[in-house]
Amino acid sequence: MALTKDPDRLGTGPEDATAVSSDATAQPSLPAVRPSDALTTPIVVRNTLWQAADPAAYDGGQPADITHLAEFGASELGRRDDARWSGVLEVIPTKADYVLDLIRMNSLWPLLSGLACCAIEMMSAATSKNDMDRWGMFPFRASPRQADVLIVAGTLTTKMAGPLVRLWEQMPEPKWCVALGDCTCSGGRYKRSYSTVEGIDRVMPVDVYVPGCPPRPEGLIYGMMKLQQLVKDRRGHWPERAIGPTVPEQV
Amino acid sequence: MDRPLKVRLERRFADQLTGPVRQRHDETEIRIGPGDVIQVITALHDEPEFRFEFLADLAGVDTGEIMQVVYHLWSTTTTDWLRVIADGLSRDDPRVPSVTFMWKGAEWMEREAYDMFGITFEGNRDLRRIYLPPDYQSFPLRKDFFLPDDAARSPGGGVRPMERTHTPRNAPPTATVRRAGA
Amino acid sequence: MTATTPRPGTRGHDHAGSFAGTPDDPRVQLDRDLGVFEPIPPYPPRTERESEFYTLRDGEMFLNMGPQHPSTHGVLRVVLKLDGEKVVDLDPVLGYLHRGVEKLCENADYHQAICYLDPLEYVSSLFCEWPGVMAFEKLLDVQVPRRAEYIRVLSGELNRVASHALFLGWMALDLGGLTPILWSFIERDEIVDMLASLTGQRMLFNYFRIGGVNGDLNHEFMSRLGDWMSKATEQIEAGNTLLNENEIFVRRMRGLGTIDSKTALRMAMSGPNLRATGVPFDVRRAHPYSIYPELDFDIPTRAEGDCLARYLLRMDEIKQSLRIIDQCLHQMPDGPVIAKLPRLLRPRPGRAYAGIEGPRGQYAAYVVSDGTDQPFRMRIHDPSFIHLQAVGVMMPGHLVADTMAVMASLDPIMGGVDK
Repeated sequence: MALTKDPDRLGTGPEDATAVSSDATAQPSLPAVRPSDALTTPIVVRNTLWQAADPAAYDGGQPADITHLAEFGASELGRRDDARWSGVLEVIPTKADYVLDLIRMNSLWPLLSGLACCAIEMMSAATSKNDMDRWGMFPFRASPRQADVLIVAGTLTTKMAGPLVRLWEQMPEPKWCVALGDCTCSGGRYKRSYSTVEGIDRVMPVDVYVPGCPPRPEGLIYGMMKLQQLVKDRRGHWPERAIGPTVPEQV
Repeated sequence: MDRPLKVRLERRFADQLTGPVRQRHDETEIRIGPGDVIQVITALHDEPEFRFEFLADLAGVDTGEIMQVVYHLWSTTTTDWLRVIADGLSRDDPRVPSVTFMWKGAEWMEREAYDMFGITFEGNRDLRRIYLPPDYQSFPLRKDFFLPDDAARSPGGGVRPMERTHTPRNAPPTATVRRAGA
Repeated sequence: MTATTPRPGTRGHDHAGSFAGTPDDPRVQLDRDLGVFEPIPPYPPRTERESEFYTLRDGEMFLNMGPQHPSTHGVLRVVLKLDGEKVVDLDPVLGYLHRGVEKLCENADYHQAICYLDPLEYVSSLFCEWPGVMAFEKLLDVQVPRRAEYIRVLSGELNRVASHALFLGWMALDLGGLTPILWSFIERDEIVDMLASLTGQRMLFNYFRIGGVNGDLNHEFMSRLGDWMSKATEQIEAGNTLLNENEIFVRRMRGLGTIDSKTALRMAMSGPNLRATGVPFDVRRAHPYSIYPELDFDIPTRAEGDCLARYLLRMDEIKQSLRIIDQCLHQMPDGPVIAKLPRLLRPRPGRAYAGIEGPRGQYAAYVVSDGTDQPFRMRIHDPSFIHLQAVGVMMPGHLVADTMAVMASLDPIMGGVDK
């Protein structure tokens, strides 16, 4: 039932399915989005900008098939309070997804990918004095196949951009990206240089930006806590994400 | 400032020096032509009155009109740094003999000078780009390489018009910038 | 590689206000087929050394330790040629962190250029700024006040201790020990918070100015320094005892990566790597700068030239640094901490070279000035760059697992290697 909507039509807009108000039990879709819903409904943007190297990756580009539980929840078999959420189920979480998100948020495993100076602050945030292990982020995995979060710490150069995107592609979903330091947010002090990429959001989707040169370890920890919030609110888990500055319509 | 050193250098390398021996603070500077590099460096390294056995730095310089390769040497016989400038390389095809026969550690320094300026070191067994990707077309530290106009060739930046505010839009592509002091 | 707007047939964002299709579109297209990095082997080989390296004999294979690796100290790519488990040859590929610092310095003022020098060797930032400001001061013929020199030496030696503590941690980490790195970071955090109370920043300090330093010593810094000095020796001894008496550590490092003094001089090495081979060359004594002639300290030297010697030498250097810090505190004179300089600096046309002794070796800056307010050529000489060449000399014959140990013992920092 959930996949009856055309995935190409997902997005914010008056005729959009996410515009269904959550407490209307048997209503047809309202013509307009209520302003109070705009910030809580997740923004789903179809990704047409970035393609994986292999056309069969990510299910060949089809929307994520996470409807097993959602279907069950939407059907009459599910006797739950939130059975009224029978709208577009890809984006409205069920209780099981809520638990899954709690699990994911408390054990985000970063990938060891320190490029430059911010890597030292990342290591400092992971060691005894500012301990990231308190939130489950201690195991810095060396292999991208086992990692959840890519904390890009340090300047990204054009030579390294290829390997870094390859690392990003090798990470399995769900995955998030944290841009640590000014150089990854916007190019930083190397903005006019001939060999740096001005911000990693030019080549990969970023979830959290942590500015600073370098940011204090407490700043990185704050950024990771924001990421945890994102994960919990399912605002981070978009099967399709865009690259580049995204400007929501209402903003 | 080691004045006896200046006297010794002027006496020994009278034919190869292309300019006066200059001293300032704690540096002594001699200028030679690119063809004399091997001879002068070997003499400075081997002869007992000089014994400049420690290569401190190897750099390339683009003056806008000519190119230079600058060697900095250190010796136990003097407290000064010795700067040897191989002067007068043309900007179109700068070639200079390599000093890797004497110091193998100069290999990467010469590779870097090649990468940044295009200076060819004859005798370096490994003269390829060291910092930039191997398919990069230009030599960034040359004076006719403008940030960020030439950087537009790299995906890193300089594409949007608002990013080109650093250099004037009507700068000619092969402009010679400033002249260095003598 | 060119930056292009999105390919035809793809849709931009669905949002209003997006930049798709406009001239301000920031998206870049990576042409991965071109190969941002070089394949193995690169066809066709461009140089003699490449064709020699990329020719496999019977039983050999290539192994790529790529730019992302748990212990390459940053982004370094090493192509190893292996015969079974033994390394026959290796080819480091640099440039994954090349940020174009020298070009950026040419487009900035003299005051602004100092900011670009910090992140080169980011673990020991003060030693990166130091030769730059010294070269500028030589060009401007500026006399630095004595108190400023003492503060420079004091903060510099603190940074040296922090850097060597980090070396200890990384050295052990690359051999597999997970405890010493945590202890090193505790020590480093203490020192670096101390320096933060002095300079304002934990890591890329930006503290040295042309003609002095940015600010005077303050009460918080002095009290933290006093607390730290009282327990510094025990902390360092604890770290040392943990490792020096560990049989695995010692047996793995002894005899590994040996280099003799003649080869070390041929490779233009400097700093602890050179002193561990027996050559007592220290720029602070060989070519005194700042107020080092007034300070009393020894130059530790060891003769074996292997990894263990380099490690023990750096531990000796920490003790000497503590001596220097002590003397600085006792001999600190009064006075201004920065010389008065105009904001717009136009030094005389000319050239200046300044070399100092940093924790990794000789850092140097060569500045060519043409009389304008921007440096004409700012050349930065970095020791890590030179020492990485020595890995190719030391490694053949050892096992793959020792590659990281040898590299860690040379203590490279990729920011400096790639500039």
